[in-house]
Amino acid sequence: MAKTGTWVTIILVLLVLAIAASLFLRLRPAGGTIAEIYVDGRLERRVDLSGVTVPTRFTVETERGVNVILCEPGRIRVESADCPDKVCVDFGWLQDSAAPIVCLPHRLVIKLTGDAPIDAEVG
Amino acid sequence: MGIKRLARDAVLTAAALTIFIVELQLPELVPIPGVKLGLANIVTVTALFTLGAPDALAILLCRILLGSLFAGNLMALLYSLSGGLLSFAVLLLMRKLLTKKQLWVASVFAAMAHNLGQIAAAILVTSTPSLLVYLPVLTVSGIVTGLFTGLTAQYAVGRLKNVLKK
Repeated sequence: MAKTGTWVTIILVLLVLAIAASLFLRLRPAGGTIAEIYVDGRLERRVDLSGVTVPTRFTVETERGVNVILCEPGRIRVESADCPDKVCVDFGWLQDSAAPIVCLPHRLVIKLTGDAPIDAEVG
Repeated sequence: MGIKRLARDAVLTAAALTIFIVELQLPELVPIPGVKLGLANIVTVTALFTLGAPDALAILLCRILLGSLFAGNLMALLYSLSGGLLSFAVLLLMRKLLTKKQLWVASVFAAMAHNLGQIAAAILVTSTPSLLVYLPVLTVSGIVTGLFTGLTAQYAVGRLKNVLKK
């Protein structure tokens, strides 16, 4: 049986590592203004947020439900959704962050990339 | 399964379900999928350390199944199951390594495993490997919430051991 102190040390080391990694990921910019919307892992839509001049709204509908997505210059969010937990709506604006917006019930992911917009469409 | 055992496990399942439903009513702390207190796991840990693996697993599975039914979120079943089963496996492993006073340690690692299992399921379901960026945040939340549920369970085991074992 290991001493309690050993366990506390292991947990503390893990905690510090995890906090450092979260801060690193939070501070690291996404490095792009292309918003990609995936459903079930398939690319559903690409929006070049730097090309958005007026607030634009569109819906992504799947057999699981509906997410209403709002684009503004440089940022994007899920405005409303009929999923049970509303985590995607509460996330708020996605803007220069490596962490994607996720709606797990609807299997919808929105993330920013800096890839060259080959087939970018606005709105 | 004797009637006494059935009744006892059913009461514990009901307790876990009640805690689970009440926790759902609490406002979200942070808008990150998977971050939650996981208070119902107090019952899982308590059951495992007083009644043993088969009873605890039965209580856990019934709670997950009925919980997602009652919450009207059957789509979350997959994530809850993968997280729940992985964390249960970790609890089983840790049980052999710990003394009675270190019970909370098992809960901390189980909470981390729970979040890892959930992320793995989410990555598979959405085919989005970049969801891995949530792992550090969820590890931090797992350590904090696991510590809380673990200490609570440790006290509960101390108080309930004789009552539940009868």
